[in-house]
Amino acid sequence: MAGFVLIVIAAFFFPGIILRTKSIASGRKGPGLFQPVKDIIVLLKKGSVFSTTTGLIFQIAPAVTLASVICAMLLLPFAEQKALFSFEGDFVLFAYMLALGKFFTVIAALDTGSSFEGMGASREALFSLLVEPAFFILLATFAMFTGYTSFSVIFNHFFITGNDYVMIYSIIGIYLFIQIAMVENSRVPVDDPKTHLELTMIHEVMILDYSGFDKALIHIGTYLKFALYGSLIYNLIVPAGWNIFLQAGLFLAVQAFFAIVIGLTESFRARNKMNKNPKFILTLSAIAWIAFTVILILTYKLV
Amino acid sequence: MVNYLIALFAVTLMYFSSADRLITYVKLIALQGLLLCGIAIFGLKEVNTANLLFIVAETLIFKTLILPYLLTRIIRRSGVTKVHRLAMPGFYLLIFSIFGLLISVVLATILINPFINTIYLAIALFTLVTGMLLIVTHKLIISHLIGFLIIENAVFMFSLAVGSEMPMLINVGILLDIFVGVLILGFFGLRLKPHTNELTLLKD
Repeated sequence: MAGFVLIVIAAFFFPGIILRTKSIASGRKGPGLFQPVKDIIVLLKKGSVFSTTTGLIFQIAPAVTLASVICAMLLLPFAEQKALFSFEGDFVLFAYMLALGKFFTVIAALDTGSSFEGMGASREALFSLLVEPAFFILLATFAMFTGYTSFSVIFNHFFITGNDYVMIYSIIGIYLFIQIAMVENSRVPVDDPKTHLELTMIHEVMILDYSGFDKALIHIGTYLKFALYGSLIYNLIVPAGWNIFLQAGLFLAVQAFFAIVIGLTESFRARNKMNKNPKFILTLSAIAWIAFTVILILTYKLV
Repeated sequence: MVNYLIALFAVTLMYFSSADRLITYVKLIALQGLLLCGIAIFGLKEVNTANLLFIVAETLIFKTLILPYLLTRIIRRSGVTKVHRLAMPGFYLLIFSIFGLLISVVLATILINPFINTIYLAIALFTLVTGMLLIVTHKLIISHLIGFLIIENAVFMFSLAVGSEMPMLINVGILLDIFVGVLILGFFGLRLKPHTNELTLLKD
């Protein structure tokens, strides 16, 4: 339960830290740390306006997306505590809970009948499809590394396997999770949330027709998803057996660090050309595949 | 430590598939030289000191400094900075590379024996596949040359896999390096001019 609460707390600060980092990096005064939260409160107070061409799917999609992210949060462990729901192979459910949310976002975009939204949906579906192997290969690597298939047990045993290669797998895992989070949350270099041209949008164009309360739900889902990946990264950095209060502090520190990394990336890195994105995302799968191959050889699983 | 370096070496091979600037290829060749030096230092323990020193000097001086320098000069002189637009897109090359790695691991497992280190063998085979892929899918002569350099790194890696048993094989790998050096110098000797497009020509 502590992990769940900490993810929610981290999600409150996450977008603010990204914004502050970007404004400091570009020499602007910029908005305050809580500006995104204030924006969400304003949006939550407003009603929603639906186009007459949209149907039920468009109306329920934001709620389903948020619900799927919250369900995925229930599967993540914190410190030595098990996740609220933990069973063998739960990372598959985790991936498909997030995929369910994305699926509803995609079909809601198609439901509007807008060609722009259809274009964004097509791109988002392609990129999600390409990033999925990277996530699964990485998790399979960790499963092979520790000998378990549940998030809770994998992360509990990650640092106590006695394996000499824990550091390299930790580094590879952190790098890949950061990149996967960037792709899944449609940030630079794959997408740019600040772009103003519909033709170059991916995620933003899909949610153009949302307003008020529904838009707030979508934003909350995005922030939680960031904190969700931050939690995965945290589990690869800090051993599970440490003092719980120290871990809570470290958890928030890791989340802040993750947000700063995203802010700096968006400040100093250009967005990829659209046709370069598939190659960029596939490279993540390739790196995960190398990690998997090495662990396969080192653990003599092939022999 | 050796396994870290070998994993990093494999990552550079994947990067070859996704990069499309020739200067990136040259930097990767230099990095591979450095990594091979590290692998040689940490991996070969039963080879005599003089032989080991020779290998280290060869990887550091020849592979990391001289060959990249010569390649950079060729790229600057020819004015060709990117791979040919008709080359296979990096996306597909990357998919082929992933399958290449899979095949290499399976082959290494089949060929397993007590005298050969499996991880060396798997990555050496993967290096070989990457070099061949680069040659087959790219159109420029310079890309082919870089592909050949990668294959030659594969031979070096093969020789390291059995290094403690057969130091002679390592010397053969080094001889290949020198051969490539002479080949690149040949490009200079021929004085290929940028305006004649001789370095930008397609395959015949």
